[in-house]
Amino acid sequence: MDVIGKSVIRKDALDKVTGRAMYTDDYQTVHMLSGKIVISPYGHARIVSIDTQEAWKVPGVRAIIAGKHFPLVGESIRDRPPIAVDKVRYHGEPVALVVADTPAQAKQAADLIQVQYELLPVVNSPTQAFEKNAPLVHERLGEYEKEEDSHPVPGTNIATHIKIRKGNMELGWRESETIVEASFSFAPSDHAAMETRCAIAEIEPDGTVQIMTSSQAPFMVKQLLSDYFNIELGKIIVRTPLVGGAYGGKASVQLEVLAYLASKEVGGRPVKILNTREEDILTSPCHIGLDATVKLGADRQGKLKAAEIIFLWDGGAYSDKAIDVTRAGAVDCTGPYRVDNVWCDSYCMYTNHPYAAPFRGFSHSELSFAIERTMDLLAQKLNMDPLELRYINAIMPGDTTPTRVLLNKSNVGNLQKCIEKVRELIKWDEGAISRVNDRLIRVKGVSCSWKTSTIDANAPSGAILTFNRDGSINLMAGVIEIGTGTKTVLAQILAERLKMDVNKIHVRMEVDTQTTPQHWKTVASRGTFMSGRAVLNAAEDVIVQLKEIASCVLRAPKEDLEIANSRVFLRDDPSIGLDFKDISFGYKYPNGNSVGGQIIGRGHYVLRHISNLDPETGEGRPGPEWTVAAYGVEVEFDLRDYTYQLLTAATVVDCGRVMNQKMAEGQVMGAMSMGLAFASRETFYFDKLGRVLNPQLRTYRPLRYGENPRYLVGFVETPQIDGPYGARGLGEHGVMGMPGALGNALSIAAGVSLHHLPLIPELIWRAKEAANGAPL
Amino acid sequence: MLPFDFDYFKPDTLEEAVELFQYLDHNGKQPMFFSGGTELITLGRIDLAYTEAVIDIKEIADCRVMSLNGGQLLLGSTLTLTEIEETNLFPLLTKTASEIADHTARVKITLGGNICARIFYREAVLPFLLADSQVVIVGPEGKKAVPIHEIFHEQLLLNRGELLVQTITESRFIRAPFFAIKRRQQWETGYPLITVAALKIDEKVRVAVSGLCPFPFRSKEVEIALNSGQSIEARVEAALRVLPRPILDDVEGSADYRLFVFRNILTDALYKLEKERI
Repeated sequence: MDVIGKSVIRKDALDKVTGRAMYTDDYQTVHMLSGKIVISPYGHARIVSIDTQEAWKVPGVRAIIAGKHFPLVGESIRDRPPIAVDKVRYHGEPVALVVADTPAQAKQAADLIQVQYELLPVVNSPTQAFEKNAPLVHERLGEYEKEEDSHPVPGTNIATHIKIRKGNMELGWRESETIVEASFSFAPSDHAAMETRCAIAEIEPDGTVQIMTSSQAPFMVKQLLSDYFNIELGKIIVRTPLVGGAYGGKASVQLEVLAYLASKEVGGRPVKILNTREEDILTSPCHIGLDATVKLGADRQGKLKAAEIIFLWDGGAYSDKAIDVTRAGAVDCTGPYRVDNVWCDSYCMYTNHPYAAPFRGFSHSELSFAIERTMDLLAQKLNMDPLELRYINAIMPGDTTPTRVLLNKSNVGNLQKCIEKVRELIKWDEGAISRVNDRLIRVKGVSCSWKTSTIDANAPSGAILTFNRDGSINLMAGVIEIGTGTKTVLAQILAERLKMDVNKIHVRMEVDTQTTPQHWKTVASRGTFMSGRAVLNAAEDVIVQLKEIASCVLRAPKEDLEIANSRVFLRDDPSIGLDFKDISFGYKYPNGNSVGGQIIGRGHYVLRHISNLDPETGEGRPGPEWTVAAYGVEVEFDLRDYTYQLLTAATVVDCGRVMNQKMAEGQVMGAMSMGLAFASRETFYFDKLGRVLNPQLRTYRPLRYGENPRYLVGFVETPQIDGPYGARGLGEHGVMGMPGALGNALSIAAGVSLHHLPLIPELIWRAKEAANGAPL
Repeated sequence: MLPFDFDYFKPDTLEEAVELFQYLDHNGKQPMFFSGGTELITLGRIDLAYTEAVIDIKEIADCRVMSLNGGQLLLGSTLTLTEIEETNLFPLLTKTASEIADHTARVKITLGGNICARIFYREAVLPFLLADSQVVIVGPEGKKAVPIHEIFHEQLLLNRGELLVQTITESRFIRAPFFAIKRRQQWETGYPLITVAALKIDEKVRVAVSGLCPFPFRSKEVEIALNSGQSIEARVEAALRVLPRPILDDVEGSADYRLFVFRNILTDALYKLEKERI
């Protein structure tokens, strides 16, 4: 083992630190036009009229699209007009699209489009959406095309309903001596990736559609454009260069559709649509909100006996990926604990909010806040150490998940080990609370999480290897480099398997759907696992081919050959062998005769044994494995002002195998930073009209460098037997426990139970005021 | 991206700048004096600012003055906030200015730009309100020095075509004990929830505030209450009863919460300044 686990420098590092790296908006051609979206200023309104007369007078305007009926789009339910007709359902929704020669002209014209609205009653939260007689976001919900496993309820705002029914609830409550119940909520927020979303579309005279997009899912773009507009799959080519942060927000397909419609309107000329920051926050899909109620029961020893959970997800105006988020939330609804009796209703609700994309953790950072806060309430009521309560309930091989998957030593990590390690990292045994002075106390909070990746049952991944004349290898795989360094890890996997220098492996960063083998989507912490397996498969293919030709030239059986250091050689006498460069394009004998030919390796992987969920009980295998993690956060809290500083944040994740130490730590730290920002500051503020009041980075503020705590990262390595070198997913897990751990620390510090995000001092003050003023 | 084109002028003298403004204004160009440019860029791109001509004053010598002599501190209006911080001639101003925006922006934002800003926090004005400074204004009528209290009410009341050239501050205020704090919704980035600058001179405490109301202010009534000789707690409560209105109630914080925060800050300010001896 030479390369796996080493902190190999990312293959994209030099280009990124020197500013050479190219992102979608950096690609510009002379005849490229600019698209500009006109957005709805209201959450819910009827479009009375759209006047484009003045806009057409702006020089350079080529097209204005408004009020036109296009096929409805949307992944699980086709409920979304690409450009609103008749009414708008969220603040930021596209109502018109202008195409002009330059971005400035497009914006000028867009500003001159006059839209008259008539306000409609607004659905401003999923709880309100769930009420009887709530205004309907979609009046014709029953008429939409949909996927089989979406379950919209016409006449309501329910986009889907996932049920988990496991065990016997009556028995569970009977065995429970202690029961706690609590409700939690938080509004939608944003991903705030550094690169705002951008798409370019061009339709060539022969009908070939060329798309370039900052996407996590170029193959999905291809598939969906084909589905929506009835275009032959082979005539759609989607290219994705480097992506400047995605976090799930770029797994949704939106601007690509608009760019395609725009290009079509101008005779196929290339049209670029680049989100401003405001559009990226408002118009493009956001981070989902949630209203949750959790009821947990435990016996005298603290063993969990029953869990009843209601999730009302704020899917926003259109269901799109929120349906899958709702399902993923149900699948892991209990958190990483053994609970034999589980009842969960997970509803995807339509509201008049920006619609939801996946967000790093895919429902798990959200549900974990509700579960982990309730676990602390339970510990309090049981008068138990909260970490101990989690330890004795930790999910283990032999237990079943809410969807009744039987866990074994490969498909679940070791949560107890994670808890032990985090206990050391945060010095839990020195005490959860310490006093600094009259006003300041230091308080620790803990949490746990788990996650499986609920992805399509037949999600594929592929890899192609080609050689250069010097014996170095080119690696092509469909994973998008969204900043996670996955492509570097793939090179490490290949180098490890071929026992060669990782610097002699060249990785193609850009993906295009015509020549790159398909990788489902770069989401769900599946890049390393699926693409890694495909690369290993391709490596086997190359090994066979190399040995075949070497066996012929060396006149030795294949079984006697070994591969290392870019050479094929005799196992018992390594001095007899051939370099890759002498055989990868065929072997040329001294007299000029040649045998063999160019070696091209191919490999693929498809997840196995994934099954659909039973619509009545939820039974089924939603994903391949469960990664588990434990967390701690320490804050210094001001008892008078309710302000606090983040001192330490710790995550211990069972990642199966650390593939690249520095990058793994970086992933976990970055994720913690994101989780803390979500927990402590990032949210949309809505007014009564459903308008987002803070759609700018002036007022929507992610964590800045310098505001971060000290990060501690630990790993446990329980190999996933079928993962590449035992690796499990890793990219999302740092996020997931942060809201719960921070909420727990602050609830202890403030002496009041906190149920909402973000955890700003005003929220704590409000909870204290309510508690102080509450009648006895 | 700014969705409009504009002409750019860079006059060498104040006279030229003033004349240019009049000329361009007369020709309907909606001219704008320009120094750091951050507001034009950030508000222009979202259609909240518009001009067809900018007059860049940031290198006019009178606006670049930074001197402390004869008991007076002169600060030019186009000094950047980082220049003011680095020179640190007026520690209270340094402290207040160093909390505005972030470092990258402060390299561009100028003293005059912040005082005359459309975004209403205008925190850089607070120290000058406390120090009874004078401001030097130039306009079609020529150059004049005016006490800041005569011309700053919520904002600097410039006539069309006038611009802020300098501030003049007596050095005894610069040496006075002070207290300055900026509290935000959360941590170190963002607009003020409340910014307070306070100083003690002639045994009296002075307080200027931004973020509590939709304008910065220094209030005579508040200061009378704070200097009334009762217990600190009683004086703070008295001050809270005479605050200007409205109290801000927005995404940064509710009105009630702002008052909670303000009460604690005032208490801290009094405790700190009571202990100081000149």
